[in-house]
Amino acid sequence: MHDVVHQLALGFLHLLSPANAVSLVVGLVVGMLVAVLPGLTLVMGVVLALPFTYGMSVTPSIILLTAMYLSGTYGGAFTAILFRIPGEPLDVPLLWDGYPMARQGKPAQALGWTLLAALWGGLITAVSAVALAVPFAKFALRFDAPEYFAIVLFGLSGVVALGGGSMVKALVSLCIGLLLATVGVDDTYGADRFTFHVPILKDGIEYLTVMVGAYGLGEVLARMELGFVTPPMDGGGKIQTRLPRWREIWRLRPTIARSSLIGVLCGIVPGAGATVGSFVAYGTEAQYGKRRDKLGSGIPEGIVAPQVASTATVGGHMVPLLALGIPGSGATAVILGAFLLHGVQPGPQIFQTEADMVYTIFASMFAAVLGMCLLGYFAIKPLVRILQLPEAVTSAFVALFCFVGAYSARNSVTDLWMIVIFGVVGYLFERYRFPIAPMVLGCILGPVAETSFMTSMIAYKGDWTVFFSRPISGTVMALTILALAYPMIRRLRRVYRAHKTPPGLAAVERELQP
Amino acid sequence: MAGKLKGQLPYLALLLGAAYLYRAAGHFAYAARPGELGPDFWPKAVLALLMAVCAYEIVRRALFVHAPRVPDADSRPATQPAEGTRYPRLLAAGVGLTVLYVLGLDTAGFFLSTALYLALFMLVGRYRRYGVIAATSVLGSLTFVYVFMKIVYVSLPLGAGPFKQVSVWILAALGIR
Repeated sequence: MHDVVHQLALGFLHLLSPANAVSLVVGLVVGMLVAVLPGLTLVMGVVLALPFTYGMSVTPSIILLTAMYLSGTYGGAFTAILFRIPGEPLDVPLLWDGYPMARQGKPAQALGWTLLAALWGGLITAVSAVALAVPFAKFALRFDAPEYFAIVLFGLSGVVALGGGSMVKALVSLCIGLLLATVGVDDTYGADRFTFHVPILKDGIEYLTVMVGAYGLGEVLARMELGFVTPPMDGGGKIQTRLPRWREIWRLRPTIARSSLIGVLCGIVPGAGATVGSFVAYGTEAQYGKRRDKLGSGIPEGIVAPQVASTATVGGHMVPLLALGIPGSGATAVILGAFLLHGVQPGPQIFQTEADMVYTIFASMFAAVLGMCLLGYFAIKPLVRILQLPEAVTSAFVALFCFVGAYSARNSVTDLWMIVIFGVVGYLFERYRFPIAPMVLGCILGPVAETSFMTSMIAYKGDWTVFFSRPISGTVMALTILALAYPMIRRLRRVYRAHKTPPGLAAVERELQP
Repeated sequence: MAGKLKGQLPYLALLLGAAYLYRAAGHFAYAARPGELGPDFWPKAVLALLMAVCAYEIVRRALFVHAPRVPDADSRPATQPAEGTRYPRLLAAGVGLTVLYVLGLDTAGFFLSTALYLALFMLVGRYRRYGVIAATSVLGSLTFVYVFMKIVYVSLPLGAGPFKQVSVWILAALGIR
C-alpha cells in the first residue's frame, strides 16, 4: 500500500513534465469536443488521435488517449441535456431525466448534477484503477499459456455476449476480425496464410487500418448516405452550471453508491462498457431507487446514476488492459494499439518494468477528472460552439484524418487502400447493424489467442482438456460459457415475461434495456 | 419471401466466402511436424465457427422469421432517431471520390489532392457555401501539411512532374525543408 502511494506521488511529479501536462490538457479538450459532436463517436475520436502519438513517447501518448476517453464520457451530457442530442450512445439515459429537468427551466441544475456525477464517477474510477490493478497483475503472474488463452477467450466472448446487440452478428464480426489477424506469414511455421500471392498481404493486415477504416471512414460513409442531415445548431446562449447543495447530494448517496459499483464492475467485465454501465445504472435506479416512480420526470437520480456509472467504467477498463493486456472495449483496444505501436506490451510485468509510466498514467487519471470538471464548468460554452460546424465539413476532415492517420504509420499508400476497403466494410457493418468492436478486438487479440492456444497445445501434447482442468483457466472457461449463455437466458426470460406482462409495461421495460 | 431472402443474403455470402477460405486453408504450404497442429488449424477453427453461425442464422431466418418478433437488444433504443431517407448516389459519389483521392495522391501530391478532395467532399455532401469550402479546404490542407511534415515528421507524398514542383513551393513557403 505504502509503495503504491509512493509510486503514485512520483506519478504526479512526472505528470508535471511539459509533454505529459500538454497531452493531458489536449486530450481533455479534444475528448470533450468529440463527445459534444453527435457525428463523432468517442472511439472514433480516440482512433483519429492515434496518429498524432507516433512522434510522442509512450507515456504522453497514453495520457492523451486516456484523457480523451475519460472526458468523452462526460462531454456528451451537454448536448443530451440541453439539445436532446446524445453525443454518444452512453448519453441516451441522460435524455430521460436531464432533458425534462432542462425543460422545466433548470438546465443549470441539470448540468450541475452531471458535473458532480462525472467528478464522483471519475474519482472512483481512478481510485479503483490504482487499487485493483496491482492485485490483478500479481495474480496474473501465475498465468501460463492455457490461462492466457482462457482470459483472451473470456475477453472476446464478453464483448460478443454483453455488447448489447445481436449475438449472431457479434460472432460474425468477431470471426472476421480473428480471420483478418491470420492473414500473412505465420509465426510458427513461416507459412503464407490467405496471401493469395499478393505481396502486400504477406506483411499481414495492420489492425490500425481496420480500426481507422471501419470506425472512421465507415461512419462517414454511413452518414453521407443519409445526406448529412444533422443541421448545425446554435451552440451559444445560456449554458451555465449550478452545483447542487451538500444536503441535496447527501440525499442521493444510495444512488451514487449503487451506480459507482455498477460502473466499476461494468468496466472490469470485457464488453460491458460505459454504454451498458449507463443503461444498467438507470435501470437499477428504476427498480430499486427511492423515487423510482418519478424517474423520467426530470429528477437528479436519473442524471446522476447513468453519469456516475459511465465515467466509473473507465478505470475498470484500464485494470485488465494494464494488468493483462486485454482491452474490454473499442476505446481501450485503441489504447492497447498505442502501447503496441510504441513497443510496450501491457501485462503483469509492466508494473515492474514500466512502473513509472503506469503510475504516471494513474496520476493523469486523477488530474484528468479534475481537469474535465473544470473544463465543463468554465469552458463548455466555447466548446459547444463546435455544434455550429456543418456535418459535411466535419465529415470531410474526419475522412482526411483517417487517411493521414493510416499513412503516417508506415508511409505507405497501400495502407490507404486498406482504409478504403475497411471503410466500405465499416459502412456495410453499420448498414446491416453488425457491431464493429468485436472485429477490431478480434483483429488485435487474435494473434495472442492463437499463440497461447498453440503454445498450450504444444506444451500439453494436444490435450485440449488442459483449459478446463487447471483451476484458473477452468474457472475462466466456465465464466466464458456463462457469458455466452447469458444472452440466451436473457432472451428466454423476455419471451416468458412477454407472455405475462401487459403490453404497456412491456414497452417501458424495453426502454430500460441496455 | 423476397424480404426473407434479403435478410439471408449477407449470411449466405459469408457462408460461401468462409467455405472458400476453409478450402484455401487446406492448401497452406508448410513442413508438418508430427503430433503438432499446423498453421491451418486456427483459421480453420475460426472459419468453422463462422460457417456454423451463418448456417444457424440462415435456418433461423428461413423457419422462424415470420414468427412474432420478440424485442431484443438488437432493436435500437426508442430515443435514437428513426432511419431517414437514404441517398445511395451520394454514397457512391463519396466512395468514388475517396478512391480517386487515393489514386491521385502519388501523382498530384498531398496538398493539391487533399485540398481538392476536401472541397469536392463538402460539395458532394450538399454544402453550398463556396467561400467556406474554399477557405477550409485550402487552410485545412496547409495545416495538415505543416503539422505532419514539420511537427510529426511524416513524409507526405509530394506528387510527380509539375505537381511535385507545386508541393515543393508550398513546403518552402511553410518553412519545411
